[in-house]
Amino acid sequence: MMKPDTLTRAWIALIVFSALSMVAAGLVNNGFDQRLTGSLVLALALLKARVILSRYLGLADAPSWRRGFNLALTLFCLILLGLYLFPQI
Amino acid sequence: MSANPQPSLLEELPGDLMMWVLIVSELLIFGAGLAAFLAVRLSDPAGFAEAQSHLHRTGAAFNTIVLITSGYLAAKALHWRTLAKRTAARMALVAAAALGVVFLVIKGVEYADKAAQGITYETHPFFMFYYLLTGFHAFHVVAGILVLLLVAWRDAPDNIEIGAAFWHMVDLVWVLLFPVVYLLA
Repeated sequence: MMKPDTLTRAWIALIVFSALSMVAAGLVNNGFDQRLTGSLVLALALLKARVILSRYLGLADAPSWRRGFNLALTLFCLILLGLYLFPQI
Repeated sequence: MSANPQPSLLEELPGDLMMWVLIVSELLIFGAGLAAFLAVRLSDPAGFAEAQSHLHRTGAAFNTIVLITSGYLAAKALHWRTLAKRTAARMALVAAAALGVVFLVIKGVEYADKAAQGITYETHPFFMFYYLLTGFHAFHVVAGILVLLLVAWRDAPDNIEIGAAFWHMVDLVWVLLFPVVYLLA
């Protein structure tokens, strides 16, 4: 079987992460802790953003820039997570 | 002296520097909007949750798949153009733009549904942010469609790289906007 190329693997990963986000968000209706599901949804959003930056936008070939963008995005998602969780503390 | 000196930091950056300046600027604008959305939610989490229940998650999730696939086609177009497969690249760009139109149609249906429910930006602060963030994003989708069609016509590899980068920025903003506005309960 032919192995999918890097771009196709990135696309598959994005589809899988998107599906997992929907599943994680839906778990609230099954009694799962909102803080856990919210954290999962934001973690998956971060993963998707990293894939787009690395593979679609080509930062995989620019490791210094990729590290910088990943750091900034991670901090941003942590701020969003903090704002999301604050009312539930 | 080394025969192959290391590229400078700016030389390492793929594509056009000004496009990256635009990407970072747009991320900062949308990032500030999303942070403000969650900050205002602090004052009324129950009201925000109730307002969010009026959104159509499945349609928005389908739109995520549409944009991700469109971005994939734009990235493939650049790949094919560098291999001198001009027709394949052009077709991929037109298909990416067509998926952008699909995104807008679904968004239009979503807005029409809200209007039918009597929901406007004044209904609740949630909807003010909803219309502001998704509307501004939709405006970028329109611009991105035009850019994709333009670079399908003027298909120099550098043009396609810039056009595809703009489209990936639109994609990137959506994968952050969608979970915050539609999924975080």
